Amino acid sequence: MMSESEHDVVERCRRGSREAQRELFERTSERIYRLLLRMTGSADDASDLTQDTYLKGFAQIEKFDGRASIATWFYRIAVNEALQFLRRAKTLRLKLENSARDNVDYPADTTAIQLDVQAALGCVEPAERAILLLRYQDGLDYRAISEVIGCPEGTVASRLSRARDRLRDILRKSYGETEENDATVHPKNG
Amino acid sequence: MCCEEYRDRIGRFLDDELASDVRADVSEHLQACAACRLELENLQELTSAIPNLADAGVPSSLWTSIETSLQTAPDRPSPRTATRFPLHRSRRWALAASLVFVVGLGFLGTNLMSRSARASEIDFGVLLDALPLDAQLAFGKFLALYGAETGSALEAKKFAPALDFETPPTLPGGFRLESVYLLQFGNRPGVAASYRRGNDFLATIFHPPVEQENFGTHKDYPCAIGKHRGHKVEVGSWKMIHLTDPTTCHCVLSQLDEATELPAIMAAVAPLAAAGPPHNHGE
Repeated sequence: MMSESEHDVVERCRRGSREAQRELFERTSERIYRLLLRMTGSADDASDLTQDTYLKGFAQIEKFDGRASIATWFYRIAVNEALQFLRRAKTLRLKLENSARDNVDYPADTTAIQLDVQAALGCVEPAERAILLLRYQDGLDYRAISEVIGCPEGTVASRLSRARDRLRDILRKSYGETEENDATVHPKNG
Repeated sequence: MCCEEYRDRIGRFLDDELASDVRADVSEHLQACAACRLELENLQELTSAIPNLADAGVPSSLWTSIETSLQTAPDRPSPRTATRFPLHRSRRWALAASLVFVVGLGFLGTNLMSRSARASEIDFGVLLDALPLDAQLAFGKFLALYGAETGSALEAKKFAPALDFETPPTLPGGFRLESVYLLQFGNRPGVAASYRRGNDFLATIFHPPVEQENFGTHKDYPCAIGKHRGHKVEVGSWKMIHLTDPTTCHCVLSQLDEATELPAIMAAVAPLAAAGPPHNHGE
């Protein structure tokens, strides 16, 4: 449920207050931008989609019924925007997986497993990537995720399970290929 | 309950999404079962690696861009484009420049959104500039600039009933249709399509005649397409051919020979224009 102050801000936003719109942006945009950055792997695309998300959210704020938080409302729009964008990008063969690896900056203390998981995330289907990020990056519970992606909590659980399995499969294949390559490069003598 | 059934619950256990009695049962099993404990540890390692990313700060200019778009929202032509403002690299720089300009004049209504919305000209520069690097990427940039959404051939016909065009599933020479796009040139609809023949890429763009087609730094020249005269812009091995009639400008982007291969392509995508009397373009 919304907090009282959030309710007030949304009401002012409904009345077209630019100040309230900015306040909602300030409150939620870091999470939204971070999700979109991880979804697309591109700071430029994340900026575009964040902008689309808020323009759409403000334009449709009348539809926000207050049952979930306003952050969930923006998450929902952002995920839809990202999935639509990635569908178009796939059609256009923009090779986002490569850009995901190229354009995202990782902290200096990132471990090998973290790097591997980041790379593997770029290879799972966008809808699965979204649900993994919502749960394990942004910490949404199943109920909140179900509100974001519009499906029952049981479906969230099964989709998350599938997404984790897919991520693991990609990592296993990646490690397997690496070991094969290592074996090829460094044949045992004797 | 066997391990397989417990494993179905380990994900929910990890996510703290089990009822307390079920959680206690799983917890008890985990104490007794090394294999399931290992499964949980693996999942913990996997999922804890997901959020590790440098603090991704929101670009400081983002709110300014949103606010500018909000200020121009009443000028937008239709709900379909009202919330779309794809700020890809070239446009972002252009927006920054335009913001400096309009803030200096104290007039915020002349940004790129309104330029796109009014569209008295069509900007092919974004497409032509990127052609030498990657034709598909260049085409994608153009599509993004004009708010493209994918659709079917039938939807395209309904979307742009005033235009003369076809998006057939195949084209002469063995090109196969990949996608059809619905575009918005200001208040007027347009259509585009992409085709592929092996590694060969071909794109068509259909738009209503406009005051000006902007080719950026690229020059266009008259050319002959069958019995018609059109014009073309060449960038390396790529050619963008235009054939315009009173209702529609038909553009074909390809590496095909304009004398031998393009007339049949043009006849397939612009049957009325191609079958009509010879006409000139741009004269």
